[in-house]
Amino acid sequence: MHELPMAKAINEGLRTAMVANNKVMVMGEDIAQLGGVFRVTEGLQEQFGPNRIVDTPLAESGIVGTAIGLAMRGYRPVCEIQFDGFVYPAFDQIVTQLAKQTARHEGTQSFPVVIRIPYGGHIGAVEHHQESPEAYFAHTAGLRVISPATPNDAYWMIQEAIASDDPVIYLEPKSRYWHKGPVDDATPAQPMNRAVIAREGSDVTLVGHGAMVSMLHQVAEIAQSEGVSVEIVDLRSLSPLDYPTIEASVAKTQHLVVAQEAPSNASVGSEIAATMTEKAFYVMEAPVLRVSGFNTPFPPARLEGQYLPDVDRILDAIDRSLAY
Amino acid sequence: MPYTDSTLRLLGQDGILVKDDRVEKYHQAIEHLDEKDFREFFRVMTVVRRFDVEAGNLQRQGHMALWVPSIGQEAAQVGSAFASRPQDHIFPAYREHSVAYIRGLDLLDIIRMLRGVTNGGWDPKKTNNFHLYTLVLATQTLHATGYAMGIGYDGACSTGDLDKDEAVMVYFGDGASSEGDTNEALIFAQSYQTPQVFFLQNNHWAISVPVRVQSRTPLFERAAGFGLPSVQIDGNDVLMSYAATRLSMDAARSGQGPHFIEALTYRIGAHTTSDDPTKYRDDDELKFWQAHDPIDRFRSFLEGRGTESAFFENVAEEAEDYAADIRKRTLEIQDPPLEQIFRDVFTEDHTVMTQEWEWLKEYTQSFEEGA
Amino acid sequence: MAHFTFPMPDVGEGLTEAEIVQWRVKPGDQVAINQIVCEIETAKSLVELPSPFVGVVHELLANEGDTVQVGTPIISVQGEGEDESVPVDPAVTEAVADVAGSVSKEDTTPAVKNLVGYGAGTNERASRRRRVTPSVEGMADVSPSEVSPDASSHTAVLAKPPIRKLAKDLGVSLSDVIPTGPGGEVLREDVLRDAGQATVFKNLQTPAWPENREDRIPVKGVRKAIAQAMVKSMFSAPHVSVFVDVDATRTMEFVKRLKASSDFAGIKVSPLLVMVKAMIWAVQRNPTVNSTWTDEEIIVHHFVNMGVAAATPRGLIVPNVKDAQLLSLRELAVALEQLTTTAREGKTAPEDMTNGTITITNLGSFGVDTGTPILNPGEVSIVALGTIKPKPWIVEGEVRARMVTTVAASFDHRVVDGDVASRFVADVASVMEEPALLLD
Repeated sequence: MHELPMAKAINEGLRTAMVANNKVMVMGEDIAQLGGVFRVTEGLQEQFGPNRIVDTPLAESGIVGTAIGLAMRGYRPVCEIQFDGFVYPAFDQIVTQLAKQTARHEGTQSFPVVIRIPYGGHIGAVEHHQESPEAYFAHTAGLRVISPATPNDAYWMIQEAIASDDPVIYLEPKSRYWHKGPVDDATPAQPMNRAVIAREGSDVTLVGHGAMVSMLHQVAEIAQSEGVSVEIVDLRSLSPLDYPTIEASVAKTQHLVVAQEAPSNASVGSEIAATMTEKAFYVMEAPVLRVSGFNTPFPPARLEGQYLPDVDRILDAIDRSLAY
Repeated sequence: MPYTDSTLRLLGQDGILVKDDRVEKYHQAIEHLDEKDFREFFRVMTVVRRFDVEAGNLQRQGHMALWVPSIGQEAAQVGSAFASRPQDHIFPAYREHSVAYIRGLDLLDIIRMLRGVTNGGWDPKKTNNFHLYTLVLATQTLHATGYAMGIGYDGACSTGDLDKDEAVMVYFGDGASSEGDTNEALIFAQSYQTPQVFFLQNNHWAISVPVRVQSRTPLFERAAGFGLPSVQIDGNDVLMSYAATRLSMDAARSGQGPHFIEALTYRIGAHTTSDDPTKYRDDDELKFWQAHDPIDRFRSFLEGRGTESAFFENVAEEAEDYAADIRKRTLEIQDPPLEQIFRDVFTEDHTVMTQEWEWLKEYTQSFEEGA
Repeated sequence: MAHFTFPMPDVGEGLTEAEIVQWRVKPGDQVAINQIVCEIETAKSLVELPSPFVGVVHELLANEGDTVQVGTPIISVQGEGEDESVPVDPAVTEAVADVAGSVSKEDTTPAVKNLVGYGAGTNERASRRRRVTPSVEGMADVSPSEVSPDASSHTAVLAKPPIRKLAKDLGVSLSDVIPTGPGGEVLREDVLRDAGQATVFKNLQTPAWPENREDRIPVKGVRKAIAQAMVKSMFSAPHVSVFVDVDATRTMEFVKRLKASSDFAGIKVSPLLVMVKAMIWAVQRNPTVNSTWTDEEIIVHHFVNMGVAAATPRGLIVPNVKDAQLLSLRELAVALEQLTTTAREGKTAPEDMTNGTITITNLGSFGVDTGTPILNPGEVSIVALGTIKPKPWIVEGEVRARMVTTVAASFDHRVVDGDVASRFVADVASVMEEPALLLD
């Protein structure tokens, strides 16, 4: 057990996976000598060489497209897309090719490609560097979409993503890269397609993923001091969603609030709200409430603090839920 | 006049071999071919064209939503396909029916795809590495490049053993050459010096858009701009197609990096059966290319060498039989099972696939039979 | 020898029709597979159609210049020999028959077996497909008890949002309500029952004593009419009341089933409906309770104008449903609902308040067990429905919780003696105990 920031935890996870299987390779812009703009791949090229840690030309569609070809050849490529806002040139290769190739090949070929994407706000970054594109990928059949909230989950989930024979979009909450947390490399974490109860409670279920989870902890502490017991569900997997875990929690608390950085319109939070309303109609004492970013392009960073959900907006939602 | 000063050929339109210093090395590349090989080129071109016509008829009779004809492009495909070696990997677009045939695909599988029975249709491992047709233009150029990168990482090329060293051939068209993916593929290929040949069939039309809208320079010069050794050939000359591909693939597999071939040819038919070329094409242009038909040219070549007429009759009969067999088997094609919607979306078990299939099963059974 | 028809194909991915421009064959012509039989024009282009059949052209089924829907047979060919026949797809034949309406019964005229050339046009349906099992639950529909082992250890109250709101509005604590829903959920009547029971004195706020010593309300309008009627009735007819307690569980179950049935969808169904039906049946067996006293004669009515005491903003009125004995259960439910709604809106027509023959009053809606109702003038019987609530009852020798109610009735002893009164009330009560008696 040791304390690591998430960036280093992913680094160690990659390292472990690459030692275990020499078909695992990482490819992306600036990942070799520089070690990635977030240093997630720091030191890897020295250890594994330029054929396994590959600096690519500046062409996102090219990165994902060649990764598909490499997967056909038997490799297990891990693509790094430098920033959330730059995944869109690769969108065609992800959505029309990577997501559909397994089905198209009717079981004769797997496509074990992982696409790592740093995402989310709260780092004061410029335009296109703070997006939350989860919904596009969650909406695309044929992809698995996951996002760790803690260094420990980051360490284990990247390895499981690499080991999976399915394409995985691995969303890294960049505002959490440098926050340290315990990493237990002896005890595997929960499977990557499961949500976990990050904090037990009894009055309201609070659901979130990625960077939002640490904010939910703050919310829970404040709520506790006001006499409200919050149960936090860390989704971890956005596709598929782990409904049994959410349902068990809501059966207990009868109140559900979902918080996300992403805008609400057609979001993952909306999907959870619709499905949980169907599943828990007789149980819930209030409608599912969502706390989301506004339905605008991400604003200039000086305004992101008010654009993104903060503890007050989430606490207000809890109050509204409990008042029904 | 679509040909340029750079266009290389071995066979004139009259079927007579061309004497030209520029093509000396290409003549050498076909020296090992004999009568048997030439007859095989002719047979394949003829059978596949007859198949193509039959498939078009079947579409008109309601058996497919659409058919994609390759008529006119047989020489470009047959020559290049025979030039590749068994260990090579082929990434087609969606019109390479002759290449498919040569690689051992049952052409009925192409009909199955256009009929809506499958989105793929075959296993490349069982068709001598002939990969699936790709309907999003140019995406296959990146897959091919990635595959070739893998060959490099595996050390499965550049050993000097032509029968072992692997290479990748990717087919695409003049329209696809404008796509970003094609250009990115060329960039990656030259950056990593992949064992790969980019085979561009310039059939002069991307549905209704002529090639001059795609490019103001001959397309092979564009590739040269990326740093790939590049050649423009008369794609309706099956011998030249063979020779250029042979040399390029062998150079690529031997460590000389990716190569580029622009094969000038023509899409005699429509883009697909939903298209109407009479709305945008010149009759004169069509006549020109019909006069440059690849099969006619090669027949002249064979006749000039004394090939007996019985051979041609036999091939014609074989082609008729092939077409009749395709017709018969097309009429027997069954719908895929309902489970196909959910099966194979993922390799690993997936809760949503399981749940939704269970639901659809129950839903389907809740109705009276045949209701 | 078989006939083969070639239906117009969709040659361009989504076309619905095409025009026959030119026939290239005529009846009697020999035709080979792939021989061009006609040229058609579609929205996209001119297309030559090759024959799918070999044989002799039998009939051209459309004319040059005709615009033909995709799927309509355009030519029939007489085929040579069985082994060349084209497989038949009965679904397509049926679809084509629907479209063309011209499949003869004699010759088989099978359609060419294909599936994709007839996409965009033939998708219209006029009715649902027939089912063998009821429709399937929604994909997300998982009842809470199936969810996970953990869920069942928590006894959360199950109730739909409107019921939760009702409980909140009525000040009822959901966890104290006995749920009677099929999934264990709390139903509206459960809340109302609880509200009735628990809160006879249910005002959450008792108003402060008024500051003035007295309020003087003028006696006029409805209040005056009520007073006059009450006095007239009370002090002309000698009233006697009888009571019987009955186990009404079966009525409650019957009501629940009615509510769930599609016939009664959207119609208010309650125990009152059953009691009204019971009264009509009991009147049939005891006709004199349905009479009017005049000094000279007792007029026994052979029709039931069923009065229902209704509280309105201006006071108590008793509108009646005319000829209630002619109404089916469903019609009665609709009429009663109509009557109550109209009364609540204060819009009851005067003719609806006259010529009643017997009355029911619902004390249960006020949370009261029973009472001694006063006759409606001109009538000799009035029945009171009280609360229906769980009470200990002896069933097969054991104490069980059953839904018990008291049936009460008052009578004019000038007309109705004790034996008739008792028999009538017992009849009403026996239906409450066993609604199947209405099948008599």
